[in-house]
This record gives sequence, structure tokens and C-alpha cells, in this order.
Amino acid sequence: MSDLRVRPMNELDIEGICRIDEKITGRYRPEVWEQRVAYYIRRDPDSSQIAEQGGRVVGFMLGEVRGGEFGLEEPTGWVEFFGVDPGAREKGIGRRLIEALLAHFRARGAHVARTMVAAQDKEIAGFISAMGFSPAPLSALEKRL
Amino acid sequence: MNDEIRALPKAYHEAIEHWQRHNFPDYPKLAEEWDRFFPKDEPFCLCAKIATDTPDDIEVGDHRGERKALVPKELPPEAAQHLLMQIKAQASTEFGSIQQHQGTLARAQEPQDHAWALRVMAEELRHGYQMVHLLTSADWSPVTDTKAADMVEEILSMQTGSHVLAAFNLEYDSFLDNVVFAAFIDRVGKYQLTMQKISAYRPYASSMPPMLREEAFHLAAGVIPLRRWVEAAARGDGYISMGDIQRAIAKWFGRGLEMFGDERGGQTNVKFGLKDMANREAQDMYVDELQRMLDDLNERYVRARFPNLPRDEAEARFARVRAGETVEGVGPDELLRLPDRRFFRRRGEPAYQMVGAHGESFTDVERYVAHVLAYLPEAYRASIDVKHWADLQRKVARGEMPLKEAISSMPRLARVGGACPCAKSVRWVMESTPN
Repeated sequence: MSDLRVRPMNELDIEGICRIDEKITGRYRPEVWEQRVAYYIRRDPDSSQIAEQGGRVVGFMLGEVRGGEFGLEEPTGWVEFFGVDPGAREKGIGRRLIEALLAHFRARGAHVARTMVAAQDKEIAGFISAMGFSPAPLSALEKRL
Repeated sequence: MNDEIRALPKAYHEAIEHWQRHNFPDYPKLAEEWDRFFPKDEPFCLCAKIATDTPDDIEVGDHRGERKALVPKELPPEAAQHLLMQIKAQASTEFGSIQQHQGTLARAQEPQDHAWALRVMAEELRHGYQMVHLLTSADWSPVTDTKAADMVEEILSMQTGSHVLAAFNLEYDSFLDNVVFAAFIDRVGKYQLTMQKISAYRPYASSMPPMLREEAFHLAAGVIPLRRWVEAAARGDGYISMGDIQRAIAKWFGRGLEMFGDERGGQTNVKFGLKDMANREAQDMYVDELQRMLDDLNERYVRARFPNLPRDEAEARFARVRAGETVEGVGPDELLRLPDRRFFRRRGEPAYQMVGAHGESFTDVERYVAHVLAYLPEAYRASIDVKHWADLQRKVARGEMPLKEAISSMPRLARVGGACPCAKSVRWVMESTPN
């Protein structure tokens, strides 16, 4: 992984993100990722991170610092979307991505990072836990409407 | 973001608002579209933003390691001259692009595209405001005899046709130009701002990070509509064809390359610590990035031409088409491509060299003019700009005009220029100021 580079995401990474998402979910969703990438770029283009190897996107992690979510006024770094190319896993790419993202959160004045993980995503939950995240004193609740 | 927010003195702030009313009449729509399309984003602020965490010391050049200048007189005189030219040129591009966008903004087919372009224009206005702040918040008298008010007056009086750089003197033919301009010309802007981020003049360096953050979205406002258009073109249900986009690329690419300055130059800016790359080096990186962008667009196009293929197979087909093969009816001519860097050039090392879109050389000027015209958008071919170029190309080829003279020639569009058009002999900057 010597040529692995982690850098802020830009508008030319969309197709690379779509490729990883498609490998993971089986769905090609360019419109979805275009909207998401545009959202993060226009709010803080230095925040979301891309892992690139040999000129190809092999991982992404999208997030930003916000305050006021769920009554949490303190600036919070939200880790919101991420993925690593299935062919490039177990090589520390996720760790490199989250380290870069958390460093940016700190630079933006956040003292806490938060994320949410679906109960069935054991692999993601394991990764997030290994990155030092622990259950928060908040519960995610929902009601079908 | 740890940015300081600063407002211009009243006279200059009002001058820019006055300029906006004449040149950017759609600006009042911004608040409404902001609420609809960017509801979670910080409201737009017409103000100067100063990053507070930029380095104290000069980062490149002969004075590397020394303290950055806080006022122009702390720079070597020649460096200060170069810096002032940079600021004025940057200001010209910011205000100039708004004038260009405004002409075709209302022709956007999609509300989101309209809102994105409107936001781009508003942020360019803020960038122009930032440049005016740089001109009016320091004493430039060691560098120029022109008062700050007169420098601002000169900038605000420019029109499409009288701006510093050729890319800002071309009219848009349709909303396609709004988008291609954002993808190609704003990308040059990103390079210039990035290079200037290390400026030995700290107020300028500190102006760059907030501008760069906004510029990142401007590139997305170009690339994302293009991505959708190429997909629609592939499905056959779009209004904009790959050929339309290709012709727009031919219109803008050369002007973008020329914004970097002559390929052989730029070392002086590095020596003075005003930029961290010479012109050719930056231009090379720009071309590589554009190639990546076109690869991205072409891949999406091929993917949409074969919607039922798994990704791996679609990628394999794209690779074959890109290599020149026609696969299942999709050939390389359908893909977007960059013209040769020497194609349709009017400035820089290859100016007026008569090199075709694919790098072929021409000896007959009439054949060359016909070749270039065939690659340009129909509406643009009918412009005074193209006629001006063709006239110069003929004169240079026939030895009737020195190359240097052709390079410095710019078509002057017949416009009302200079003073504010809403009253007789009124200046944009209404009051005298201490500067």
C-alpha cells in the first residue's frame, strides 16, 4: 500500500465512489452520489476524504462538522458515508480515511465525532468500534409513518 | 472555518452593489433559491473573508523563510508590481464571469442547474469584493500613482470584451457555456488560487482559502450537469449531444490554457514568492485533470450506452472504445476528447501555429481556418471574436502582421463601457476616499 494516498474529495471522484458503491450494493446510483458529493463539497470541500491508489479511488469517507443536530449544540464531526473497494480491504484503508477525517474535524473545532450504524451491519460496527467509537448515551428511535 | 469577516468601506460596498444591479440583475433571486436548494448552508455573505491560519513566512522563492509582507511597501518593488497586476487580473475575472453567466443564466433547463449557477455567480461577486478589499485596504502608492478608487473604477467599468484575459471576453451562446465554463475555466481559477495561496503578500495568501472552498463547488456545478447530460445523450433522450459538448470544449479549452500565461514564463512569480509553480508546470497539471474529467464523463456515457451490462464488462468496453475500437456500434468518435494544446491558440508558445485538433499541422491558412470553424459551436462561429481570430490568423500566416502584435490584439465589442449607465458621467465609486 505504499502508493496509497488519502486526500480531500473532489468532483472528479464521483464515478470512483459509484464504482465502490456498486460493488458493495450491486446498484449503480450516479444521481445519488452526485447529490451527496455536491452537498459535502459546497459545505466543506476539505472535509470528506478519498483513498486513491494507482490513480484509482479505493475508498471514501464523507462527513462534516455540524452543530445543533438532535439538540447537540457542540460542534460534532459526523461520519456519514463510507466505503472501501472490496478488493482493497484488510489493508488499513478505512483506518487511514477515518484518521484523516477525524483530524479535519479536530481542526474545525470538534471535540466529538459521531456516527450511526445499522444493527445488521456487523462488519461496519466492528470497524467503527475498532476505530475507538463507543455506544453513545443517545438512542436512535424511529416510528413508521 | 476560522475566517475573519470584513466589509468594505461604504463607498466601495455601495459601488459593488450598484455594479450588481446593472450586471447581475438576477442576484435578488439568490435568497429564495438558497432556501430551496441549500437550506442547511450558511447564508450567502457579500463580504471579504480572511483566513486566520495561514503561514507567517514566505514559502517559496528567493526570500523563502523571511516574514511575509503585510503591506505592499514591504515587498520588493518589482514583486509588488507583479502582485498588483495579479490582483487586478483576478478581480477582472471575477466580475467578468458574472457578466458572462448572466447572459444565459435564465436558459437553464433544470431549476437545480439554475440555482447552482446563480450561487456560482454570487460567490464570484464575493471574490470580486475580496479583490476590491485587497486594493482598498492597503496603501498601494509605493507601487502605482493610481488611487485605489480609480483602480476599482477601472475594474468595475470592464465589460465582456474589455477584460484582462481572453476567456472573459467571450459571450456565452447557451446555458451549455455556463456549465462548460465552470468545468474548464473555473478549474484554471482553482489552480491560480491554489498557487497564490503561498503568496509572499500575506493579505492575499489569507484571501485564498475561503475562495478555494467556494471554488470547489463551482467545479462541481460544471461537472455534475455534464455527467447528467452525457448520460441523457447516451440514452438518446437528451437535448444536448456529445457533439454539442465537444464543440463547447473546443471553444473554451485554448482560452483556459492561455489563462496560465505563456508556457515559457512564470518563473518570476515563483522567484518573488507569489506563486509556487511556473506556467507550464501548472498547465500540465490542469491538462491532466481535464483528461481525468473527460475519462469520467466518457465512462458514464459508455455505461449508459450499455445499461444492462455489469460494471466490469462495461468498463472493459469503455477501455476498448477509448483505445480506438468500435464496440457494438459505439466508436471513439462519440467520446469527448481534448483538442491538441496548440489548436486554436492565440496566446502563448503555440500562438497562431496552425495546429489542428488532433495535432496535425496545416500550411494553408484557409484550410486551417475552415478546420477550426468546423470544430467550434455554430453560434460562436458567428461571433466577432471568431472573425477577429480568423483575420489575425490570416495576417500572421501571410506575414502581414507580426506575431507579437497578433498576440496582444483583442476584439473590442461595441458596448457602452466606462461610467455607470444609469446616469451621465457617474462613477461606480461615488465618494472620494482616503486612498
